[in-house]
Amino acid sequence: TVRPKNEVEQKQLCAFGEYVAEILPKYVQQAQVTCFNELELLIHPDGIIPVLTFLRDHTNAQFKSLADLTAVDVPSRQYRFEIVYNLLSLRFNSRIRVKTYTDELTPIDSAVSVHKAANWYEREVWDMYGVFFANHPDLRRILTDYGFEGHPFRKDFPLSGYVEV
Amino acid sequence: QRLRILYTKILGVLQNIPKDAAYRKYTEQIVNQRLNLVQTETDVQKLQDKLNSGRIEEVIVQAENELSLSRKMLQWKPWEPLVEEPPSNQWKWPI
Repeated sequence: TVRPKNEVEQKQLCAFGEYVAEILPKYVQQAQVTCFNELELLIHPDGIIPVLTFLRDHTNAQFKSLADLTAVDVPSRQYRFEIVYNLLSLRFNSRIRVKTYTDELTPIDSAVSVHKAANWYEREVWDMYGVFFANHPDLRRILTDYGFEGHPFRKDFPLSGYVEV
Repeated sequence: QRLRILYTKILGVLQNIPKDAAYRKYTEQIVNQRLNLVQTETDVQKLQDKLNSGRIEEVIVQAENELSLSRKMLQWKPWEPLVEEPPSNQWKWPI
């Protein structure tokens, strides 16, 4: 069974994506709608804080809730990690995904100044992938053991680790 | 009321942004709409219904957010063309 296509919602999301891309052309590189009605915004890494504050404060786009902050590792690209923010709007009941890229050693601005919830998520991304966040209060390991070396979720880290248990 | 003061302040900050920015156009539209509604309706309940976006206190909070956003926009200027193009296979999926 295939989910029935909701054309109206798709058009609305397309229109909204174009609206945002028109307002912030400095940072938004691409905006797309996936087949099951999800909006994605692809952003240059310098522009995370402006875009996130815009999405949080603007009247037409009140995405006050940061639902998720993750990273995707694609080792064959030049900028290896893609950082994904999932935002939820309570007023309009819609979700949006914001994606940025970074390579291993470039720091990214912390989203903690925009959304307080980003604290532990960024600690997790730092611990699991090694993406450093500038201006993060208290960036330290979470989820890995105390003397752990290496960053587990990367694709070149073996499944059973380097140390015998 | 407070909403009137807030919206006039927002419009004042928006005047400083260069005229051709899309942000300025759209926010001016929204703010002028709301300002007109606020000025025509003196009854608080009916104003809430007309604006149709939650309670009046929430609308006040939203206006304050919009004000701080416009000040930050002045600083960041997001209407210039792209800072940098992504590398060509950056967003290709599947790889």
